[in-house]
Amino acid sequence: MAEIRDFKSGRSGEPPREPAPRRLAAIVAGDIAGYSRLMQIDEEGTHNRVKRIERDLIEPSIIEHHGKLVKTTGDGFIAIFDSPVEAVRCSIVIQQNLVGRNASLPTHHWIEYRIGVNLGDVIVEVDDVYGDGVNIASRLEGIADPGQVYISGGIYEQIKHKLVCGYESLGDRKVKNITDPVRVYRVLPDPAAFHRTRKRRENVLIFLLSLTLLIIAGGVLWYMLLQPYGKVGDQASTSVSPPAEQPRAPTLPAPAVKQTAPQPPPAPAQAPAQQQAAPQPQPPPAAKQGEPLPQSASPVAPATSPKTPPASPVREPEMSTLRGGQFAMGGNEEISEKPVHQVTIKPFAIGKFPVSVREWNECAAAKACGFTASGKDEAPITNVSWSDARQYVAWLAEATRKPYRLPTEAEWEYAARGGTQTRYWWGDQFQSGMANCKNCTDIAATEQPTKVGSSKPNPFGLYDMGGGVDQWVEDCWHKNYQGAPADGSAWVESECASHVIRSGSWKNDARYARPSNRDSYDTNVRYPTHGFRVALSP
Amino acid sequence: MKIARLIVLSVVLTCPSFAAYPQGKPAPKDALLYFVWPQNGTTIKGGFWCRFGLRNMGVTHAGDNFKNSGHHHLLVDVNDPLEPNEPIPQDKSHLHFGAGQTEARIELPPGKHTLQLVLGDAEHYPFKPPVVSEKITVTIR
Repeated sequence: MAEIRDFKSGRSGEPPREPAPRRLAAIVAGDIAGYSRLMQIDEEGTHNRVKRIERDLIEPSIIEHHGKLVKTTGDGFIAIFDSPVEAVRCSIVIQQNLVGRNASLPTHHWIEYRIGVNLGDVIVEVDDVYGDGVNIASRLEGIADPGQVYISGGIYEQIKHKLVCGYESLGDRKVKNITDPVRVYRVLPDPAAFHRTRKRRENVLIFLLSLTLLIIAGGVLWYMLLQPYGKVGDQASTSVSPPAEQPRAPTLPAPAVKQTAPQPPPAPAQAPAQQQAAPQPQPPPAAKQGEPLPQSASPVAPATSPKTPPASPVREPEMSTLRGGQFAMGGNEEISEKPVHQVTIKPFAIGKFPVSVREWNECAAAKACGFTASGKDEAPITNVSWSDARQYVAWLAEATRKPYRLPTEAEWEYAARGGTQTRYWWGDQFQSGMANCKNCTDIAATEQPTKVGSSKPNPFGLYDMGGGVDQWVEDCWHKNYQGAPADGSAWVESECASHVIRSGSWKNDARYARPSNRDSYDTNVRYPTHGFRVALSP
Repeated sequence: MKIARLIVLSVVLTCPSFAAYPQGKPAPKDALLYFVWPQNGTTIKGGFWCRFGLRNMGVTHAGDNFKNSGHHHLLVDVNDPLEPNEPIPQDKSHLHFGAGQTEARIELPPGKHTLQLVLGDAEHYPFKPPVVSEKITVTIR
């Protein structure tokens, strides 16, 4: 049942071949509706948010759909795609994601893109494209409503039977500086929506009207009530926006709570205001546990100190040096583990245990890791993304001046096998008590994840290689070993949306604790059973 | 006095928006999670693009704590009931789309399979009430 895979990323990011002067391309033009208004309200905040959207959403989406970002302007972008289908898909993904990003913000802070897609013969240069086709795409974008994707007739002809969407014809439109009128279609991401749009439009109008009235009424009430208490009103209103400008903040619930906890009751209104005063873009993940620093001075003090620690001794994870050698990697139980292939591993060292909360928190205290973990010192660190894990090893390497890194997938399996070729390192049959997996031990669920090294070590003296916590490795996810390197190096591309996790966790059954088992997860997403261990090149 | 009381009341009312609610975030009643494609009973040859539809809520990156938004999880051949107070499991039959994907290329072995979508919040917990799609059956030839 486990041959379920999705290959989201595929091989992407390969540079386009020879820069042919002219080519047919699907051009996607997007820009932010009301950009100057947003800039007027909050210049820096808007700029940061737009940059973040470009970095986190637009660029990866374009790459994922095999397109190329040609350029970004202050408030927009132009991308080209070989395939009209991919171009429209990419546009829909961007629009749908933005809905989510905007959901929690007040309407006047919404960043909404208008997107136009056109098919045209264009001149492609390294950092720009030229031609009628581009102009039409940007005109389409110009007439699109915020949050909408408008496509030209040319695109429509190509995708109408391929992409399961609804399309609403808007007829021929005359656009500025283009002689012939352009046939325009509006994309409805879901086909059923087509029949509903009419009715829904009226409903939406009524809804919006009542909403506006409600908001106005609420605003008037608020204003009238708070008038005599100008100060309080100011604070309360500023405190509404910070969570909006720092959408990262809520991802770190524990420290946030810690920070507000010691304050007197009106804290929720004060703390964010304080944060805003400090010019730091990242909310302090600080509030180092047990550090006796006076809290009141902290918003400024840590800002000056982040670069100091390298001198102080750092707790290094306990390592085991492995000689390396040849082994058969993979298995026959699942498609993802095939084909079994010979791999040669060079000598290297690997952590005896997964990285613990205590070790992680030293990195957090040095402001090099994204958050301070709660939980017992001896427990493995969990809820880390691949990027988090990379931050930790980068900090450790820097602080110790040793080439610490994540293990490669081949190294991990070599280490987990401990010189054996059986289904588990102890044999072909599962034995209880050997690995911390679901229904494998008597450990109470509430105590999970338990301290590192609670099950038996394998023949290489390594603990928790199978069960315990899932462990990130350096490699990008590939759905099987077709084309995998044989020298034990990491199998990576420049950009990959998901990376490999190994070991299985306490929440997975025994099959996941097999050394050859492999799985994938989104690179930048945290999950409560995911941890990692470090490796060290000699 | 009355005004002061009203102020306290309004402050109290605005506070919940700062509180980091740990799990089981409320979902709007009219939220609808569904498969744009494939439809129930479809017979498919080989791999396919599964497209996720969501109405009255937004799709966002896992970890982003925006109101009324979450990320997709695709449950393949899962028969266990959804655990409302646990994060949605992560294994080979619970596929996560924490980067905010709204579609995925899926490959399944030939035969009948069930598919179901579950929306998870920033911390991968189901919403309250759970936002789940109809469980559909597809046949892979």
